[in-house]
Amino acid sequence: MVKGKKLLVLLAVVAIIALVAACSGGNKGTANEGKLAKISIFQSKVEIAEQLEALAQQYTKETGNEVEVWGSVGDAYITQLQAKLTANQGPSIFSIGYGSEAETFKSYYYDLSNEPYVKDIAPNMALEIDGKVVGVPYGVEGFGLVYNKNLVNPADVRDLDSFTALLKSFKDQGKNGFSLSQEAYFLIGHILNTPFALQPDPQDFIEQLNSGKVKMAETKEFQEFARFLEAIREYAVNPMEITYDKQMGDFATGKTAIVHQGNWSYGMLADFGELDFEYGMMPFPLMGNDKIAVGQASNWVINGKAKPEEIEAARAFLNWLFTSETGKNAIVNEFKFVPAMTTIKADNLDPLSQAVYDATQSGDTIPWAMNFFPQGIIVNDLAPAAQEFFLNPGMTGEQFLKKLDEVWANAVK
Amino acid sequence: MRMKNIAWYALFTFPLLFIFTTVVIIPFVIGIAYSFIEWDGIPANPKVFVGFENYVALFSDQRFLASAGITALFTLLSLIAVNVLGLLFSLMVTSGLKTSNAARTMLFMPNLIGGLILGYIWQFIFTDAFKMIGETTGWSGFFFNWLLDPQYALIALVVVFTWQMAGYTMVIYIAGIQGIPDDVLEAAWVDGANAWQRLTRIKFPLLMPSFTICLFLSLSGAFKIYDVNLSLTNGGPVNKTEMFAMNIFNEIFGYGNYGLGQAKAIVFFLIVALITLTQVILTKRREVQM
Repeated sequence: MVKGKKLLVLLAVVAIIALVAACSGGNKGTANEGKLAKISIFQSKVEIAEQLEALAQQYTKETGNEVEVWGSVGDAYITQLQAKLTANQGPSIFSIGYGSEAETFKSYYYDLSNEPYVKDIAPNMALEIDGKVVGVPYGVEGFGLVYNKNLVNPADVRDLDSFTALLKSFKDQGKNGFSLSQEAYFLIGHILNTPFALQPDPQDFIEQLNSGKVKMAETKEFQEFARFLEAIREYAVNPMEITYDKQMGDFATGKTAIVHQGNWSYGMLADFGELDFEYGMMPFPLMGNDKIAVGQASNWVINGKAKPEEIEAARAFLNWLFTSETGKNAIVNEFKFVPAMTTIKADNLDPLSQAVYDATQSGDTIPWAMNFFPQGIIVNDLAPAAQEFFLNPGMTGEQFLKKLDEVWANAVK
Repeated sequence: MRMKNIAWYALFTFPLLFIFTTVVIIPFVIGIAYSFIEWDGIPANPKVFVGFENYVALFSDQRFLASAGITALFTLLSLIAVNVLGLLFSLMVTSGLKTSNAARTMLFMPNLIGGLILGYIWQFIFTDAFKMIGETTGWSGFFFNWLLDPQYALIALVVVFTWQMAGYTMVIYIAGIQGIPDDVLEAAWVDGANAWQRLTRIKFPLLMPSFTICLFLSLSGAFKIYDVNLSLTNGGPVNKTEMFAMNIFNEIFGYGNYGLGQAKAIVFFLIVALITLTQVILTKRREVQM
């Protein structure tokens, strides 16, 4: 009996050893076939999540290499990215913005300077840090007022008075004239860019704001901006009740006339199929502003702290993305990006991207000053302040600006 | 024989001890060390030793102090709601109802759903369903979007947490009630004690061990809540429902203040440990032996 038991244990041990040997043997086998290591991609744009997934499958089909796309998380992206990187479970390829965001994570970037496609990046568009190209731009993006051409004539929205009058008239008709949505960037981040971008030197203004030399409450662009927000709070549906989905849904069904959005929102509109109206993008008319805000969207970067074979595979993927027909086609036709590569043709763009593309060509643009905001400030500090403004009808625009100054000072501390 | 016992003991203890050490003890000690440094959480950037500076800083952090107040209020409200309802449910289903088995199952069910999902379900109820009921019935004083009002958003959190936990405490109370011998209750009945007297003089004292467990579970659970908080309100509106755990997470991963966040976590641990231990000691003292 005792012997029987021992035999059983022996058998079990042999079985485990065989299993382990089989596993390691299997791994070696695949490596010999010339397949690259499996890579992972984590990126911030919810709009291209499905398309990227499909592209990854296409890549696997064409080359046999595996790519895992992690779910996008919207506002929480940077937080999640940092958590993953700190835990050494970082993705092989991730997306990163410009300015302070790119600066924060600079120790992670792999030097892309010698990659073949770098020479094809449009002038001044590559993400460079310390003289090295570390990131390839997604594309050019722009935002402004996306409007329904049946309901709004751009000539009627020139300044604060005409904007307010328009909102009033829509309210009287039982429609929503203008909509922001509750996500941090769509609630305050993008729209607050305008008064910054209208400063003579936005970057310098932000530095002075950081050091407390200037105040938003004492700058005339911001004072008018606050009056715009007061008008929105008074005559439009409360942004706190609107999510990005609802915002675009109401726009697509004609319940909302204007939304403050960018060309990325086309992907959401496309989900509603053929719309029975035409739409376009016009400038947010702060201080008579007649230019839309155009900037570089995020950049693709490779995690330089990943394993060497993973970096190798990540380089191969990016190379495929920017040089193969499938990849180039996906960037324009699936992701709907306005390309920032000279080798990718931008024809038959959607109406919103076309507006951005045209503005870029004519140079009628204002910059994305928000890239130089202190890192994380939009989600951490500005959004709660904006929530307070929209939830508390007793708060004046002036008090709101003082609040913004206060949270700004707190954030750079 | 003795050797064999020790071997068995080791066989069952070591794996657990190993896991407990690697996932609880070691990170905890590292966490204490991190609370004395200033660091932005990026491995390549320097860690600067600052002594007790983080601990001093957190007491002047208005948002942290506000979050402490919110957490305390939330814990108090949920403690009451969870235990009162749990006790009522348990008395109800042990009172000989015909449907008691079905009722038990249904009341326990919410506990089987994860907090994140519960939060998203209730988010829909509080925002869309409530608004719709308010618009159709005209009772918009009560049925409006609760999550947009700081006070109501906190109550909403209490409602969801209670919904989740009341069934769980009910099960513990049921076990306690069923453990009370019938002869004691019968003797009380024969002596002329009415239902209320039987409840407060016989059942409650004998239920003390269940109270100890339930109060402990709901107290520490409410203090440490994160999942429901995240999915239902995400700290909003205007950070007015940001609980302790969320404040710590935001400090570390939102603002990138690793050291300060860790210091907060240590303080948080001390508070939870102190309060729950006090509670356990207090209720244990009132437990009676038969």
